[in-house]
Amino acid sequence: MSTEAPLQHATHRRILGRVTPDLFVGRGAEVEEIERLAPHHSGPRGLLLLAAPGAGATELLRQTYDRLFRHHGTASPIYFQWSRDDRTASAAARRFLHTFLSQLVAHRRDDPSYVNAPPPLRDLIDLADPSDYEWIERLVDAFESARDRADERALIHLCMSAPQLAASRGARSLVLFDDVQAAERLAGEVNLGIEIAQTAVNSGVPYVLAGLRRGLIDTLNGGNSPQRFDSFGTLNLDNLSDADARTLVERLAYERRVALNDETRDLVIQQFEGSPFYISTFMQSARRGGVGLTSFLECQKLYVDELLGGRVNRRFNTVLEEVAPVLTTRRALIRVLHDSAINAGGKSPAEAWRRRLELEPEQLYPLMNALHTHELASFNATFMEMSTNTVWRDYLKASYRLQVAAQPRALVVADTLVETLKRAPQAMARHYRRATALGLRELLARFDAQRVPASLLHYDRFSRIYRGAEPDEVAAGIDAEVDLVRLPQVVHAASCEAFHPSMRQVCDEERCAVAHGFDAAPYTDANEIVWLAAEIEGKMEIGRALTEVWCDRLTQVAGACGFKRTRLWLVSPEGFTPEASELLNEREAFGSSRQQLELLTARLSPELAAAESARSQPLDEFEMVIPMGGDTELIAANTVEQIARRLNFPSEAINQIKMALVEACINASEHSLSPDRKIYQRFRVESDKLTVTVSSRGVRLPAAAPANGRNGDETSPDDTKGRRGWGLKLIRTLMDEVEFESVDDGTRLRMTKYLSG
Amino acid sequence: MAESSAELRVRSERVGLVAVVYAGDYLNKLSGERIERECRRSLAEGCRGLVVDFRQTGMVNSIGVSILLGVIDAAGRAAAPLVFAGANTQAAQVFEMLGLTRHVRLADGVESALKMLASDSDHAASYAADRLG
Repeated sequence: MSTEAPLQHATHRRILGRVTPDLFVGRGAEVEEIERLAPHHSGPRGLLLLAAPGAGATELLRQTYDRLFRHHGTASPIYFQWSRDDRTASAAARRFLHTFLSQLVAHRRDDPSYVNAPPPLRDLIDLADPSDYEWIERLVDAFESARDRADERALIHLCMSAPQLAASRGARSLVLFDDVQAAERLAGEVNLGIEIAQTAVNSGVPYVLAGLRRGLIDTLNGGNSPQRFDSFGTLNLDNLSDADARTLVERLAYERRVALNDETRDLVIQQFEGSPFYISTFMQSARRGGVGLTSFLECQKLYVDELLGGRVNRRFNTVLEEVAPVLTTRRALIRVLHDSAINAGGKSPAEAWRRRLELEPEQLYPLMNALHTHELASFNATFMEMSTNTVWRDYLKASYRLQVAAQPRALVVADTLVETLKRAPQAMARHYRRATALGLRELLARFDAQRVPASLLHYDRFSRIYRGAEPDEVAAGIDAEVDLVRLPQVVHAASCEAFHPSMRQVCDEERCAVAHGFDAAPYTDANEIVWLAAEIEGKMEIGRALTEVWCDRLTQVAGACGFKRTRLWLVSPEGFTPEASELLNEREAFGSSRQQLELLTARLSPELAAAESARSQPLDEFEMVIPMGGDTELIAANTVEQIARRLNFPSEAINQIKMALVEACINASEHSLSPDRKIYQRFRVESDKLTVTVSSRGVRLPAAAPANGRNGDETSPDDTKGRRGWGLKLIRTLMDEVEFESVDDGTRLRMTKYLSG
Repeated sequence: MAESSAELRVRSERVGLVAVVYAGDYLNKLSGERIERECRRSLAEGCRGLVVDFRQTGMVNSIGVSILLGVIDAAGRAAAPLVFAGANTQAAQVFEMLGLTRHVRLADGVESALKMLASDSDHAASYAADRLG
């Protein structure tokens, strides 16, 4: 794979964004939701942004700030990041006031220089818009007066209510508060978390309150008297989806000039679980170190470097320093965390932690709470459960060996590298299995007391009636069935592993699910039922022996969890042998094939079926490499014609695509000085468009000017020089979108034709 | 791509003082140059009009088209009218896009092209009229 280029090069200025908008991926909906707060409207007055650690909440707010800054006549964006570095609540509040006025003046003057280099507070009065001059001067006077009186409470209240005061004078703002949970530990007589919450809820000014999802609400509630956020919406920010993470990695690789291939791209994504923070950090380190990422070995070497001494290491160090500021406690904590991690199930009693850390309960609780907030462990009142996050566990293991067990660094590096290398193919295999799982849990959750044809749950019956039948015939037959099964109303569905952790030894989390529900109204003991469903891998019909193993396994889980009435449901891609079906009937269990499951999904949840169908379709992407010269572009043209026909392009459009491709090929042949004399082509078919990418190694061609540089409008028969020069002009005319890019070693041309074009 | 000797020359015929040059199935650099050479040769031999027949041409590329400028140039210098005949929609679009149609006329086929030339030039017309009866 060659590195993908950003689809669009943003032209607007960056103010607070740490990356260019091209590298800010997968957060379009979130940005829009925040932007909707800016104009006056009747929707939510604010948003609680609950973010997973490393999910990129800060960059989301910064990018949104930059976008909002460009809009005039709407609310002025204010971005403020709470920080424990302020030490006291009053220091943080003072910094907020200064930030608020600087950014307000910057937006109203359309001068972003004041955002990153705020002038002194008094100077802002002179810089303010004439309409703001008076109230800003009065506010600064009041601030100085409160400061001189050393009235902390009044000072904080004054600073925090500045957006409200500004709004009452016609200067409306949208306040983006980042890392709100950092306000919790600021010293002082005022609980800043509560102050922020009260201001945000009551001021009438739109606020976004962002922080770690496990800590934000507690901070805003100050640990008690919950503030009501009825007028606020909620935004949950998790790691990126696989597709968005792929885009991010590819764009970063392109931008940072890091060589990458499909395999290593996916490894990076899986290893960092789609975290934009870790992915960006990792790719940045690759660039700084001049490291290519074209093999698992290169990837894991860099990963180990990051883990033991890079930014990944520093991030965890910082969190642990915050959780346990005292060195001896921190070292003891690493030992306890490490021991808990290697426990079966990763659980250990809180009391054991207290004894081993030699802490009083009032010291232990904040420590456990901080670990919980940062999702390094889950604190469940009486026990701690370690996070299964791979990067964290790798860091912990290495830190324990280096800092506690005092093992030689070389040994730790070597072992970690070997372990991560051995693990990489397994991680990828697990990812592939997960991606192809049938989604039992989601399906169970959608049962909702619906009635479905019984044949969908009895493989033997289905096989007898429909085996070998055409899809239309099957659909019609099922529609006509009168023997129906009433599914339960499922009230809770989760992976089997969540109930019985040992199940992870025998199957992937996604392939076994437990669903609690009621098979009839009312909600009584008699109607309560638990479905246990498992997906069994197999290329043929599953035999009786394996079916029995799975029935016993699920029955054991039910017994261990104390489930009273249960229903077992086994799913196998190709169904079950007659003997296995007989066993299922004896056990009053259900059995379905993949085909039955798909039909069931289509009935219960058409949108889920459509998504699954889209996912399961083979990716309509084709690749071809042709040698340069000898009219081989005609072979490419014939190929693209066949592909375009699949999309039902009209013949005129097909001819245009062919012509554009021919031009792209001859352009590559003529100008690249290609060392391998090959043209690489990729044809990507989507529902509404065909994208053709033509690349070649060699000399990069300038993107702005056509490589063979003439403008066809200037055609003159007298002009015998430069008769070439129409290739890119033609391509741009014939196709709907054209991007010309210089890549690491050559040039790439991407052309798109839309069906509707 | 290997070529037989038969492919090395562009087929052409004389209709009075008009030369009709037949383009192949792909107008690229090489075939464009052959057309150009054939046209120049015909002009040198005294032809007073040119028709290039693209009826067989399924695909054109910009290099091939750019070489046609040489044909236009040569015809202009010889004061010989030039018509492109039988171009399919795609080729005609390309001629249009690249501005060739400002210097050369398009005709549906050779017959139409010859009629155009006949009405253009008395000299050529007399020969073309002989041919058309």
